Amino acid sequence: MTDTLDKAVMGLSGGLMMLGVVGGGLVEFLAGPPYVPTTESGEVLTAAAVAPNVRAALVLAALLVLFVYAVYKLATPVRGQSQHSERATAGD
Amino acid sequence: MEYNTRAGTESGAGYGAAGTWPAYWIAVVRVLTGWWFFHAGFTKLLEGGLTFDPSGYLQGMAGTVLAPVGTTLAGYPGIIGPMVVIFETLIGLALIVGLLTRFASFGGVMFMTMFWIGNAEYAHGVVNSDFMGLLLFTTIIVFGAGRYYGLDSIVERTGLVQGAPRLKYLLG
Repeated sequence: MTDTLDKAVMGLSGGLMMLGVVGGGLVEFLAGPPYVPTTESGEVLTAAAVAPNVRAALVLAALLVLFVYAVYKLATPVRGQSQHSERATAGD
Repeated sequence: MEYNTRAGTESGAGYGAAGTWPAYWIAVVRVLTGWWFFHAGFTKLLEGGLTFDPSGYLQGMAGTVLAPVGTTLAGYPGIIGPMVVIFETLIGLALIVGLLTRFASFGGVMFMTMFWIGNAEYAHGVVNSDFMGLLLFTTIIVFGAGRYYGLDSIVERTGLVQGAPRLKYLLG
């Protein structure tokens, strides 16, 4: 059963990722050309409505949330399992 | 240990576990992949309408294993150009909302196969970013990603689809 913390992490990480990728992209569309904020060689255009670094930082934050949660899950006992059954599951 | 490889759906595809991490993540992958294609198509549409000319790219496929396809299609830029713009946009939209997901992803597979072979950027091996894009679409098909937070989960419950289960091969 997915608990509240799982849902919170899903919402936060997914929200940050969508904000950085889709939200930032929609703002670029609404702001008008150029619709792609970088050149083919990766040069950042000053005309970008949302700095690509800001969008990248949002996605990075989303990944960081997932990483922190993964560390938390590793550090806490598996719910509803004894140490014996946990070892058995891990060995399957 | 027994494994239930048909868990979730009648077709044997999918987790049948909306609300769990795998369901959440396959939905995230679907939406972001959709945004990738929607952005590619819609920016072409905004910048040049349906006048996109792919003939140079297609002719550049000479020497690849799909050279006959590329050079043949290059002869019809007035048809292929608008198709690229429209299909990239529609495939993207379909994946974002999760409607006709497998059908749209098949189109994505076709595009990415052309890009992978056509770009032929094998300097760091054949497993490159184009190939990864191809894998994304095939993964979305296999997992029936539209069933998770997507409209296909609703459409598949309609009488039409219940009466014609093969439609799930296009949905999901």
